[in-house]
Amino acid sequence: QEFQFGPCRVEGVVLQKLWQAFWAMKDIVQAQDNITSVRLLRKEVLHNVSETESCHLIHALLRFYVNTVFKLYHDKAAEFGVLKSFSALANNFFVIVSKLQASQEKMFSTHESARRRFLLFYRAFKQLDRESAVTKAFGEMDILLSWMEKFYQL
Amino acid sequence: DGVAVLPAPQNLSVQSTNMKHVLTWSPVIVPEEIIHYSVEYQGEYESLYMSHIWIPSSWCSPTQRPECDITEDITATVSYSLRVRATLGSLTSAWSTLKHRFNQNSTILTPPGMEITMDGFHLLIKLEDLGPHFEFFVSYWRREPGAKEHVKVVRPGVLPVYLETVEPGAAYCVKARTFVKAIGRHSAFSQTECVKVQGEALPL
Amino acid sequence: HIAEDTSDLLQHVKFQSSNFENILTWDGRLESAPDTVYSVQYKTYGEGEWLEKKGCQRITRKSCNLTVETGNLTELYYARVTATDGAGRSATKMTDRFSPLQHTSIKPPDVTCIPKVRSIQMIVHPTYTPIRARNGHQLTLENIFQDLLYRLKLHINHTYQMHFEGKQREFEFVGLTPDTEFRGTIMICIPNLFKESTPYVCQVKTLPDRTWT
Repeated sequence: QEFQFGPCRVEGVVLQKLWQAFWAMKDIVQAQDNITSVRLLRKEVLHNVSETESCHLIHALLRFYVNTVFKLYHDKAAEFGVLKSFSALANNFFVIVSKLQASQEKMFSTHESARRRFLLFYRAFKQLDRESAVTKAFGEMDILLSWMEKFYQL
Repeated sequence: DGVAVLPAPQNLSVQSTNMKHVLTWSPVIVPEEIIHYSVEYQGEYESLYMSHIWIPSSWCSPTQRPECDITEDITATVSYSLRVRATLGSLTSAWSTLKHRFNQNSTILTPPGMEITMDGFHLLIKLEDLGPHFEFFVSYWRREPGAKEHVKVVRPGVLPVYLETVEPGAAYCVKARTFVKAIGRHSAFSQTECVKVQGEALPL
Repeated sequence: HIAEDTSDLLQHVKFQSSNFENILTWDGRLESAPDTVYSVQYKTYGEGEWLEKKGCQRITRKSCNLTVETGNLTELYYARVTATDGAGRSATKMTDRFSPLQHTSIKPPDVTCIPKVRSIQMIVHPTYTPIRARNGHQLTLENIFQDLLYRLKLHINHTYQMHFEGKQREFEFVGLTPDTEFRGTIMICIPNLFKESTPYVCQVKTLPDRTWT
């Protein structure tokens, strides 16, 4: 069982564990997001992504989650008593980013379209105030996991 | 923080077998007093991105025993820092941190316990249930020159599980090993067990 | 002016979903006045507009079928109910964010168990859902979940089991004793999302062996 994002392969992460961690806090986290008219991970970001593009895109997205979203959301996670789930997702995303990093360096294909998709997400994130944006991004991890699942090979 | 008069726990170490991880330490002794301990952990993410953050262990914050089952706290294949401190009333010791970080990919995988039985001409296997991390690969073959080895993924359960319909008078051998997805490792094979099927061998 | 507490008018507004039949349900006051009426709206997460659900405006029952309105598997949804009692008091409550893929539970499969002399054949029939592809075809659970598999067990006189697991829909347990009772259980499993149906159970008896009579 592994992720295969085009040429990028990631072992040692069990998708069910990520779902388990997210579901343990889903309703608490998503209930804090009352901007129901904005979705950061829209169809234009994630639909019809080519194989080679998928590696660049997931790397950009997960690196943003690891470097920004998790970092800024930590205190809320402690406040809601979901640190264990938070840590499980953060550390597993960290594993994926680390392993994608290695694959990325070997890839020569351009990733302009992946970058455009990421920027769609990032601009939507920037249009909200920081706390709302971080809460919304954290609550949309199920959209990310559903998309990642397409690249998960049993 | 309380005044650190209490000595910090010493000799921290982790014993990990078949993805069950137990942190142990030497008990802090204060005559006629009950000492409590608190355990906290940090994954690689916390260490790198928010090193001031430690997460209380699920089962041992606090505990009275000088050991802690941290299996549920280890939720990724990254290296973890672990620390323990002692508490006696309002007195609190300093934290004692595990010298070498722990990663679940170092767990010891033992060959699975198995029991081979027959029911009529059905070859059956019963496997020790080691928990959700584990898959069981069972190899079995007819004991004769050039026999083909079959491999089946078997789910452990309360009852024995059917492997094969066998022929009277023949002998069959079985061995098994485990596989853990999260760390991508197999155990060694179990001892091979062979059984002889009753009855006359069928004429060729 | 102190706002009157009307939260008792309406509780537990949530989706109940099984094989993508998505039903919105709620509770009213325990002794809710018969003249309390309920109106349902729904929206797609990320869009601005709340839409009224035709057929669930000013109703007295406490459920509403939103299967069609929540039939896009790549979307997430919200629904909300407004309760109004005879005295004109009202309350509105919203569901959690609803994801059909994550929330739906799986019903037992439809299976035909065919006993023979020394074997039992099991044929699992496809499970159609209300979800339609772009071309209008109804999708089955297999179309929707790429990791779907079937887990079959044959229980042999309470002492052991025969197991099968796989994506195919036809299985045959062989090497059985003629004229004997067996209990078979068949489940649908979707490992990635931890979904498992309750089992379909068939009790069958192998045929007598008449070869020597």
